[in-house]
Amino acid sequence: MDGFSGTLRLTDLNDFMAPAQECIKPVTINRIPEKGRSIKITASGDYSEVDAKGQEKKLEKAAITLSDCLACSGCVTSAETVLIQQQSVDELLRVIRENLEVPADQRRIIVASVSLQSVASLARRYRLTMRQCQQKVSGYLRSLGVDRIYDLSAASALALTESQREFVDRARRNDPGSLPMLASACPGWICYAEKTHGSWVLPYINTTKSPQQIQGALIKKYLSRADHQNPGKYYHATLMMCYDKKLEASREDFYDDVLRSREVDCVVTSLEMEQMLEKKGVLLDQVCSSDFDLLPGLSTEFYNSGGGAGGYLENILRHAARELFQYEVGPVEYKTIRNQDFRETTVTINGELKLYFAAAYGFRNIQNIVQKLKRSKCPYGFVEIMACPSACLNGGGQIRAPDAAEAKVWLQDVQELFDSLEKTDAGSNIPWLDGLYRTLRDDPSTEPSKLLHTQYHSLENKGTALNIKW
Amino acid sequence: MASLDLVQSLHGHDDRAWSVKWNPAGTILASCGSDTKIILWMEEGGKWSAKVTLTNAHQRTVRTVAWSPTGTYLASCSFDKTICIWKRDETGAFDSIATLEGHENEVKCVAWSISGEYLASCSRDKTVWIWTCEYDDEYDCLSVLHSHTQDVKKLCWSPSEDILVSCSYDNTIKLFKDDGDDWTCVETLSGHTSTVWSVGFDHSGNRLVSCSDDQTIKIWQRLGGEGDGNFGAQGWQCVCTLGGFHDRTIFDVDWNRKNGAIASAGADDSIKIFEEDLDVRDSLREPSFRLSFSVPRAHSQDVNAVSWNPVRPNLLASCSDDGSIKIWNYTQEAR
Repeated sequence: MDGFSGTLRLTDLNDFMAPAQECIKPVTINRIPEKGRSIKITASGDYSEVDAKGQEKKLEKAAITLSDCLACSGCVTSAETVLIQQQSVDELLRVIRENLEVPADQRRIIVASVSLQSVASLARRYRLTMRQCQQKVSGYLRSLGVDRIYDLSAASALALTESQREFVDRARRNDPGSLPMLASACPGWICYAEKTHGSWVLPYINTTKSPQQIQGALIKKYLSRADHQNPGKYYHATLMMCYDKKLEASREDFYDDVLRSREVDCVVTSLEMEQMLEKKGVLLDQVCSSDFDLLPGLSTEFYNSGGGAGGYLENILRHAARELFQYEVGPVEYKTIRNQDFRETTVTINGELKLYFAAAYGFRNIQNIVQKLKRSKCPYGFVEIMACPSACLNGGGQIRAPDAAEAKVWLQDVQELFDSLEKTDAGSNIPWLDGLYRTLRDDPSTEPSKLLHTQYHSLENKGTALNIKW
Repeated sequence: MASLDLVQSLHGHDDRAWSVKWNPAGTILASCGSDTKIILWMEEGGKWSAKVTLTNAHQRTVRTVAWSPTGTYLASCSFDKTICIWKRDETGAFDSIATLEGHENEVKCVAWSISGEYLASCSRDKTVWIWTCEYDDEYDCLSVLHSHTQDVKKLCWSPSEDILVSCSYDNTIKLFKDDGDDWTCVETLSGHTSTVWSVGFDHSGNRLVSCSDDQTIKIWQRLGGEGDGNFGAQGWQCVCTLGGFHDRTIFDVDWNRKNGAIASAGADDSIKIFEEDLDVRDSLREPSFRLSFSVPRAHSQDVNAVSWNPVRPNLLASCSDDGSIKIWNYTQEAR
């Protein structure tokens, strides 16, 4: 369970459920009522049904799927095994293997989208530069049988642009519940907010999808259209910094009933990638290099400014200052409040406080934001909330320092690698981005306001009287 | 001969009484219980009586109460997942000024640091939280510690520095310290073979006493001797195990910081007092403790807590599942 962010671990996310946290999800099993049957427990611990004629039939085990867990308020989710079955390296490899066994015209197109945070983590692990590591990861994935490899350039740019617009809309509207806007890219935080705080906090959360899910939408809706293919033709895996991203990919909101397809079919973490390389005895630095592919219409890469958490705070701050106050923000300076993971910044024009933003990482800081908001004492316009201390570069799915004592230095190295790429402000003119928006708007099925946004659902635990014992 | 004599039985709770705590001046005894009430008992003309009853703050059992070092604030924690902070005004009345939310389920204990700067809480959700109040009665969470693997039962702070100790259903005792950016677990004390129900410091902060469902009391000594500023680096060691005295779960221990007597109580309905054998104490040998006095049927049901009066060290308070609070007078053996 170590892969999950601390925020989720707190919320009973554990293999072992304490007595009061037994799974309360009702399970339906199809069986035909018939008299004269009994149930026998076999030596191996299986349950068999014995009918009147003495015929034994092994009984079906009740299975809880990840979607069941996500839709239930009993606990955050039950066992890690549920996740492992549906979101794993083994599953990815199985799909690739089976894909190679079918006739070429029936094969699916295997797509991998690689997060920059994962590249930074692997680059530190294998002592590569960012550029080298991208090429090695790409080369390795191709050698496995992945057909297309993309970074999250377009998805990050769209996520930031949509978040900027949403913030300005909310600020202009300024009715109760519109501000502060809380970041939505961290699935650990979203899961916690939905299950623990529910309806009152959800309106504050940015409706913009995370880069992973925007990328998913782009692959299944935009790329498929450009390729003249059915979205179901694509199998989309992501390489992410965060175990909680597996939960995000499994949300019902990101499943298209009509297309019977998920935006992201499988999430593999940096750590799982490393484990796969180790298991296969692959030395990443000796793999053949290959470049990433570019999505149709994209001419260059885009790496967001403003840090490993996605750059939401800085990009929204600059855009809001420009749009609302015609003011250009210089380098963003932070004031650390109490600990390194809680920082504030302000925009003051002519002595008047115009914008007051904060970054709050890790569970303890999330608590303070949530509780202040609950008491209407949260002074911020925007909060970049992330579940992991030090945010996404330190995500739960990242490769750890071999020696825990060196964890801080290791993280610094990852940070430096991440910072070594040239970053772009999402507010500056990115020619391909305008083109991308135009193309998306041309088709009702890719309308940005639908394609790039999502909604949240309150899953507050109401049946406490039933399942609390002490 | 040592003795523990009943001074008075106090009746005010309608259900089991969970916790008793004296204010730092030793003039007010706070008690709480399953009836969701907090009662403040004061002495008048040699008799203790309920002077103030605090209600309507909690929806379920109030598990523990704790006084701030100045006695101005009282914290209460409840099975309703919340912690309530009460402030004493000039007239002596207590008002609820803040509710601390965040724990996922039952809050089991609250404790104020000796500096008054920090408030710690622990819960069945397995976590220990550290809170601070900077201004305007606004409490912020400084840390959420996930070190324990089970229900955390009790907390106490060192009387000499900002070190927090917790004990748990996972059979361990853990020590926490601020490392500059966050609080971290600096040591885990293993030795008890079942739930550790309570833990307390001696006057110096160099020794700890713990009690457990394994029916033993253990004394832990900080290695490196008194005044060793290098806390945690040298570690703590169990130097004495007292077994065979209680024949059921021991729920609480309290180390008298004035006279060194240790009071214990538990599911066998008894209260026992232990004293250190100072005659046999020398630096090369482990300390030895002996039973000084026992009241076998101190209450008619489980005794949940014991607490020494900090100013009048002969006074001991106890509370029980039978709903009553008792005040006892302890007479040490003449030396």
